[in-house]
Amino acid sequence: MTWHRIRLIAAREARAERGQPDGIVSAATFVATLILVESLAVGPLAASQPAVASALFWIAMAFAAILATSRSFERELEDDAIDAVLALPGGRDALYAGKAVALTALIASVAVAGGALSLLLLSLDVALPGHLAIVAVAGVLALPPVVVLFVVLALRLRSRGALVPILVLPVLVPQLVAATNGTAAAASGDATGAIAWAGLLIAFALVYSVLGLTIVATALE
Amino acid sequence: MNSTAALRAATVVLGDRAILRGFDLEIHPGVTVVRGPNGSGKTTLLRALAGLVPLSHGAREAPARTLYLGQRPGLLRGVSARDNLRFLASFRGVPADGVGPALASWGIAAGTATRPVETLSAGERRRAGLARIDVERCDLVLLDEPFGDIDDAAAAQLLRTIRVLAGERRSVVIATHARFELDPGANEVVHLSPPG
Repeated sequence: MTWHRIRLIAAREARAERGQPDGIVSAATFVATLILVESLAVGPLAASQPAVASALFWIAMAFAAILATSRSFERELEDDAIDAVLALPGGRDALYAGKAVALTALIASVAVAGGALSLLLLSLDVALPGHLAIVAVAGVLALPPVVVLFVVLALRLRSRGALVPILVLPVLVPQLVAATNGTAAAASGDATGAIAWAGLLIAFALVYSVLGLTIVATALE
Repeated sequence: MNSTAALRAATVVLGDRAILRGFDLEIHPGVTVVRGPNGSGKTTLLRALAGLVPLSHGAREAPARTLYLGQRPGLLRGVSARDNLRFLASFRGVPADGVGPALASWGIAAGTATRPVETLSAGERRRAGLARIDVERCDLVLLDEPFGDIDDAAAAQLLRTIRVLAGERRSVVIATHARFELDPGANEVVHLSPPG
């Protein structure tokens, strides 16, 4: 596996998303709708609490990541495009890593839009905006390695549309807890807490990236 | 004669069904035709040679430069035929500047080649997929029902391409129901029977 090949897969994914932008459009629409509905469900006072607002945001982001990743692999299965990559030497590892890179970029753009909407809609005051940005970046990095791995594991299952969220959400709970607590810490002025949670998120990203690269070649057979 | 690829005592199980059982096959330079009724395992055999299905038992030997063209074109939707082929060429480390001429030789004009593949007809997508043979220049070319969806002119070109590849001492394995004119020039015709 080389960076060159990962970059090629990521660029191919970006091209496909530009040609058929249903992944990013559906993820962004879903995040906006979910944040709006959840904030209405818990009420404006509760929704503007840092812990609640953070949880609403990251739950929406987790679902958006699953949605965008699933759509990306559905596109690969149409016309058996994935076979052309899997048959290439080094194609399996590069597919995992390249998809994770491309989907990180996609999820980052959805997070920017969803974060701005949350701040505006819930009238949130953020005590430490710089720390919030660090936690957000770490949270965005932590999601794709897990989600891409589980979508790959479920790729040959007929009921993968229903199974992927059931399989991946329990595994994402630690990341969601860390991202929620880190975001709440940054919003309420706890710099040490925000950095600690961001560090944990980076550790999750590294662990799942290594795990994914280790098992994905076998999983894709 | 040295073989380009081989399956040795290969067993492939899909679901609860053994599609290939203890199967031996050596592929030599030239043309190998695989024949058999529906469900006899032609596609599975080619996918096993390409490394796209795992072997339950046995071993697979194949060159790194193996090209598998399945029954569908294998091109990513949302991306043009030109960019699909450029990506595959770059991934293999072969020059991507041969993509335009290769697509043109298969009747895909420059304007068509830059459109997203989902806007092309089935035949155009198939021909764009076949242009990978010229771009990637692989030592082993696996073609699964390559004459489906293409018109007579493209079929004639495919037959010419197969003869050229065989003349260059490359190995071509073709799974097909039709095109019996391939058999006399083939190194070997493999007949598969449906698994019992």
